[in-house]
Amino acid sequence: MLEADVEVDRREFRLSAAIGVAAGERLALFGPSGAGKTTILEAIAGLVQPRRGTVVLNGRVLTRTAAPRRQVPPWQRRVGLLRQDPALFPHLSVRQNLAYAPAPGTGREEIARIAERLGLRGMLDDRPARLSGGQAHRVALGRLLASRCDALLLDEPYTGLDSGLRRDLTELVRELVAARQVPSVLVAHELEAAQAFADRMAVLDRGEILQLASPAEVVAAPAARRVAELVGYRSFVSLPGTGVAGVHPDRVVAGRQPGRGVVLAGPVRSCRPSGAGWEASVEAAGTLVPVRLPEPPEPAAGEQDFVFTVLDPPCFGPDGLRVSRPEEVPT
Amino acid sequence: MRSASGVASLAGAAVIWVALLGPVITLLAHLSWPQVSAALSVPGALDPLVVSVESGAITLGVLLVLGTPLAWTLARGSLPFPRFWEAGVLCSLLLPPLVIGLLLIFMVGPYTPIGELLGHVHLSATNTFLALVIAEVYESAPYYVLGAQAAFAAVEPAIEEQAALLGDRPSRVARRVTLPLAAPGLAMALAVAWARAMGAFGAVVIIAYHPFGIPLQIWTTLQETGLPTALPFALVLLVVALPLPLAAYIWSARARGRRRG
Repeated sequence: MLEADVEVDRREFRLSAAIGVAAGERLALFGPSGAGKTTILEAIAGLVQPRRGTVVLNGRVLTRTAAPRRQVPPWQRRVGLLRQDPALFPHLSVRQNLAYAPAPGTGREEIARIAERLGLRGMLDDRPARLSGGQAHRVALGRLLASRCDALLLDEPYTGLDSGLRRDLTELVRELVAARQVPSVLVAHELEAAQAFADRMAVLDRGEILQLASPAEVVAAPAARRVAELVGYRSFVSLPGTGVAGVHPDRVVAGRQPGRGVVLAGPVRSCRPSGAGWEASVEAAGTLVPVRLPEPPEPAAGEQDFVFTVLDPPCFGPDGLRVSRPEEVPT
Repeated sequence: MRSASGVASLAGAAVIWVALLGPVITLLAHLSWPQVSAALSVPGALDPLVVSVESGAITLGVLLVLGTPLAWTLARGSLPFPRFWEAGVLCSLLLPPLVIGLLLIFMVGPYTPIGELLGHVHLSATNTFLALVIAEVYESAPYYVLGAQAAFAAVEPAIEEQAALLGDRPSRVARRVTLPLAAPGLAMALAVAWARAMGAFGAVVIIAYHPFGIPLQIWTTLQETGLPTALPFALVLLVVALPLPLAAYIWSARARGRRRG
């Protein structure tokens, strides 16, 4: 179990976050760049000293700012950190990198097993410079597995790799976290990366955790308008008497289906292909609403406006917090 | 097929390369081997070589012990007002060696507080072996410190951070990661410092005229018996001063090549 409750002064804001991650659990810290996600990992790893707080890993107090103070140095924490730069030791072979800090009882056979599992068997004698980006990340992961590592921290490690490789590496980490039963925390600024990895997701903005829930719940029921914006709600339409409803371009179907959400209608202002479908901009409820649909939006026969249904949209009051949506809203 | 500009730049580079090597080529062209053998077989002719090698080796030891930690702290930016410290190192690089020699007389000469302190332990920092080492340290230190600083700065902090997170305390990180990675650059810096120490003249001629090292031997031979008799000692200086930098260059180039794959 990893528990961290830390406050760190940043130039623009004070980061204040509390998280708890059980053994084998995967938590994603999701938020925009500069929200303070990496700082939380660094505070857990002992690279940043919080102005206030505690970090406890499996009952071991790693950081405590209250008396009696304690700040265990990074080399005694047994916390693994993977960053975008795999930071392999360039003067050592892959085998020496894997065996850099073996856990007690990890011999050559265990190293060979890890290399086999990670698909590195044929390159054990190579220097890191000869490896591709994906292979280098596998070695970095293997090095952590061979070491004594009680928690796994991932700081957007696979940003910049192609999507297939990212999927494979993420899947690998998920399996390994389950097998080793270590708590793991991923920092991500892309929603898909967080969703692909995590059991739970903390949405962070300007040093504050805005919502902590399952990835599905964060998207379907964002706790605040700011969370909605961060997870991809791109327009907000006013609903008389209740505030505004968030419209996610992907949570929209063509046609009038009042039982499934809020029905909107308006002229199509632009339309272009997007992936396997179409992305259109519809002027509705006094604003431009971006929508993504499998087919180009067309007004029904005899109508001028394109009619569509926003599926179960979250509604937000004037304070930006979510409020319950009235059953039917006239459009 | 090379373009005209490619040919021009190749020719330009070749001209500059030959011009830079010109003195060495000239030396080899003007040496007659019987003359070399005659000059070097005079009794005591190789004593300055021994003095130079001994003082150079001690100078390197001093630089390693005192210059390496300074280079490290400069590279890591861990000192307050880093530009101030760097300026201090640059100062001894920018001062003409002759001026350094003059100022050293005022700093460690027999009638200065430091000189008197040395006198209490029966040492003197003028015209002694100690003076020669001091002059060589002053002439070579900036080359070593700045080179070593660049070597340490080239080691990525992320790699050292990873070693620490894997359980290595700072001294172990230095031994297993930082020093091996900085070694090619450190070797180059040390080799350049060696060449500077071997060839130190300006400060040496003022503060340490005795005992003779090779540069002073060349100078006095030139003064007393003329150019041709000084040339063999110039060859000795090159033979002693250059192999270490060349070996360090080849080794560091190969080490860097291996790391680049």
